[in-house]
Amino acid sequence: MSAPLRVVAVVGTTGPVSKTKALAELIISTLAARTEISAEVIEIHTLNPALGAAIERGQLDDRAEAAVRAVETADLLIAATPVFRGSYSGLFKHFFDFVDQYALAETPVLLAATGGSDRHALVIDQALRPLFGFFQAWTAPMGVYLSSGDFAGTTVLNPEAYERIELAVDDVVPVARLLATARREAATPA
Amino acid sequence: MAFELGILHFGELAPDPHTGRPPTAGTRLRELIEQAKVADEVGLDVFSVGEHHRGDFAVSSPAVVLAAMAENTRSIKLSSAVTVLSSDDPVRVFQQFSTLDLISGGRAEIIAGRGSYIESFPLFGYDLGDYDELFSDKLGLLLKLREENPVTWQGTTRPALRAADVNPRPERELPVWVAVGGSPASVVRAAQLNVPLALAIIGGSYRQFAPFVDLYREAATKFGHDAGALKVSVSSPGFVAATHREAIEISHPYFESGWMANHHQRGRGVPMPLAAYEAQSTRAGAFFLGSPQEVAEKIIDQWELFHHDRITIQLGFGDVPQKQMLTAIELLGTEVAPVVRKEITSRQESAAKAGSR
Repeated sequence: MSAPLRVVAVVGTTGPVSKTKALAELIISTLAARTEISAEVIEIHTLNPALGAAIERGQLDDRAEAAVRAVETADLLIAATPVFRGSYSGLFKHFFDFVDQYALAETPVLLAATGGSDRHALVIDQALRPLFGFFQAWTAPMGVYLSSGDFAGTTVLNPEAYERIELAVDDVVPVARLLATARREAATPA
Repeated sequence: MAFELGILHFGELAPDPHTGRPPTAGTRLRELIEQAKVADEVGLDVFSVGEHHRGDFAVSSPAVVLAAMAENTRSIKLSSAVTVLSSDDPVRVFQQFSTLDLISGGRAEIIAGRGSYIESFPLFGYDLGDYDELFSDKLGLLLKLREENPVTWQGTTRPALRAADVNPRPERELPVWVAVGGSPASVVRAAQLNVPLALAIIGGSYRQFAPFVDLYREAATKFGHDAGALKVSVSSPGFVAATHREAIEISHPYFESGWMANHHQRGRGVPMPLAAYEAQSTRAGAFFLGSPQEVAEKIIDQWELFHHDRITIQLGFGDVPQKQMLTAIELLGTEVAPVVRKEITSRQESAAKAGSR
């Protein structure tokens, strides 16, 4: 039996009550129903003030450094952000600015975002996908974008949202398994 | 008029989640007739059946099924939900439902819709490209058939009628509703035609539909109609059992089976996970799903938002076994309906008092 997939979700919200976090957790529970995983949710607002104050990686405190490292060593990354001023939150991008340029190559990434209306849905393909394109990551073909109308508080209500998550997860799990095996084999000297 | 509660059924033939086999169409149809009988006995107001033209549904001729129900019931209203008017002949629809109305002693209703399935278009020789024109043209004729006989009519999607005698005539104005799924244009058309609105909310947050109901009443007023006299009904899936847990546990496997048979992506069914189903049963979710008290509370919450006149519940979608369906119908009639009717009547009365001061 293969080892559990190490799933790391980065949640780009700036406060504790978060639809984006709820979405990330729903994706994680859907993953857990498919395959064995260990999951870590990184709410980047909890890494402040050290994260916001840092310009270089060496200036991160231990917690922020551990969070960046967790992202760099994940088997499957969930990149989840609210739409702020038309794109991912500044803090979200600031966090990824510390991630090593090649650390996410061969890492599958599931893109997720929430916004105030459906008008922001292209944030997945026009903001998040280019960012992870830079990292040479394997972005899953289906991203999940939800708007406030899909929620009641932090409960996801829209059945189509669940459906989309099911499909996105179906797509990404086999890729994540293959890539995780390949990464482990490459790391183990023959 | 008192708030109305009813049941909606498509006669789906979903594979039983335990055996993998669907029921036969004959079994399902007989069960629907028994359900209508029990619904009538427990005092529910409406039983409606939907029209589909596929192997996984037993009802393609609502009027025939409703006529059988008419002979087994006394006072429950019998409605299509919907009649796929775009691919039918309005003259024939009118004849069938006026016949039903006479047989049932004035209990027939038509909910005209465009349908969310497309099989009936090639089946009856219609072009899907004419989707919108077919519906508006035929709806115009159906409404005209109510108003005058003999009828003279000219449209674009069927031959003109010149002093045509269409019989039998009902002994009252046959109720015709228009079904909408949330397109503003459909809502405005219903308002313009001064016909009641049947709103389908098949999941998610029902609050999102409030702007449509507001738009309907505003548009009706602008078109010079009495918006207060126009009825609105809401239809959503659901199931009722003694407790919340039981309602979910009994109905979810069947709902998911029916959902997967009808809800395809990339050519295959997509599951409705338990978490997604339970979310619909929360206070903000659209489904009438839970204990009698929870369902009554949700209907009353919705009434505060929509001030509507009727709900119909697509009860036990996916063919919940008959025994549990009949129990749910009983609970709906004896424990939900009386609470809802009483509460809404008292709120209407206090609103009227406040308004007259």
